Amino acid sequence: MKRNSQLAFLSAFLALFVPHCAATQSDTTWVADQSTLSYHMSHPMHEVDGTSHAARGKGVCHAGWCDFLIAVPVKTFDSGDTNRDLHMTEATRGAQFPMVLVRAHFALAEIASQWIHADLEVQFAGQTAHYTQVPFERTQQGNEVRITGTIPLTCSDFKIERPSFLTVPIKNEIPVRVDMTWRQQ
Amino acid sequence: MNPGMLSLSLRAGILTLSLFIPTLAIAQNSATAQAPQQKPAPQPAAQQQTPPSQPEQPNAPSPASSSSQEPSLSDLGFTPQQTQGNPKLQAELNKRTEMLKIHQRLGLITLAPMAATLITGPMAKAKGRNGQTITEPSNANLDFHAALGGATTALYFTTASYAIFAPKIPNNPKHGAIRFHEALSFVHGPGMILTPILGYDAYKQENAGEKVHGIASLHGPVAIATVCAYGTSIVAVSWPIHLKFWEKR
Repeated sequence: MKRNSQLAFLSAFLALFVPHCAATQSDTTWVADQSTLSYHMSHPMHEVDGTSHAARGKGVCHAGWCDFLIAVPVKTFDSGDTNRDLHMTEATRGAQFPMVLVRAHFALAEIASQWIHADLEVQFAGQTAHYTQVPFERTQQGNEVRITGTIPLTCSDFKIERPSFLTVPIKNEIPVRVDMTWRQQ
Repeated sequence: MNPGMLSLSLRAGILTLSLFIPTLAIAQNSATAQAPQQKPAPQPAAQQQTPPSQPEQPNAPSPASSSSQEPSLSDLGFTPQQTQGNPKLQAELNKRTEMLKIHQRLGLITLAPMAATLITGPMAKAKGRNGQTITEPSNANLDFHAALGGATTALYFTTASYAIFAPKIPNNPKHGAIRFHEALSFVHGPGMILTPILGYDAYKQENAGEKVHGIASLHGPVAIATVCAYGTSIVAVSWPIHLKFWEKR
């Protein structure tokens, strides 16, 4: 009889506790609150940073993995000169493909660690490129989480013809610095 | 029913509940998160920087991703105007860039005859033996200066036309160095109209054996001001310049 009651208790515990565990392991949704994305362009005569604060993002963690999507309109990048920004939009085919989409995929276990190593799929200028294990630093700021890192984009990854000045083209590397604040919904 | 069977049935029932309820809980959670399906196990990208594979098409909201759990562009609240591609605008931007590239090249080419005209200007007046200006200038110097001036004027207005007739992009308020570049065109533009007119007057007066006088005497100062504004305009549109050719990459 005692053994039966122990079994019944165990079963009742499982019936009540396991759903709770499952619930905590289920979807968590993240939303970007603030964002600063900056590309850096190098030329022997110019060093230019173009910045956008118009990025939006959403992330879902489910079944041990997190999938985040960040999108930003190409034309919102401001380098301080309208002429250059329009040229950038033209060179990156930004009117035909107006959005830059970044899909990040990483293990849920990393979401609480200082460094998140994400696999990225970047859609830009009508092309798609993949970057594996890109490190992002995570800083807890109250209820929010700040994520900073650099995506190592290059012009050639997206078949962008490099703009030139005085016949000298810009460098192939156009790293994009990401600084975003996220909160859990 | 005997007590043994009752106990067995009770245990089986509780066990079934303990296994079934978590499944229900997960299903319910997934439903509230707008995704009824289970996500397949994710596969991290195997290769770095795979060559682009997506066909070129307007950047419309992406189709449903491999898993309905993943967020999509429609979740982010962008308007269709922001996400839809505009091939017509792209064509205008392409044309604009092409015309401004020609504007840039011709503008730099124009600098050469402009500088030469400025240098040959003072030589257009022939000097006497004792160094004094004589009333009868050397035709060769004067004609050479006039020819250079003519070439400069033609090149200048051709250069300007590529900027003036380049497609204008709507809803695009100008800021930055381009504003100074354009503002200076209101100095060198009139200067490039006035300089040849005053030069022609001066040419006529010199050919008539007269000392250049009246408004024609402003030909030189107007030309110098025009060249200065033109040079500043080129530097302005390139500003800020970081000369670092000597630095190691």
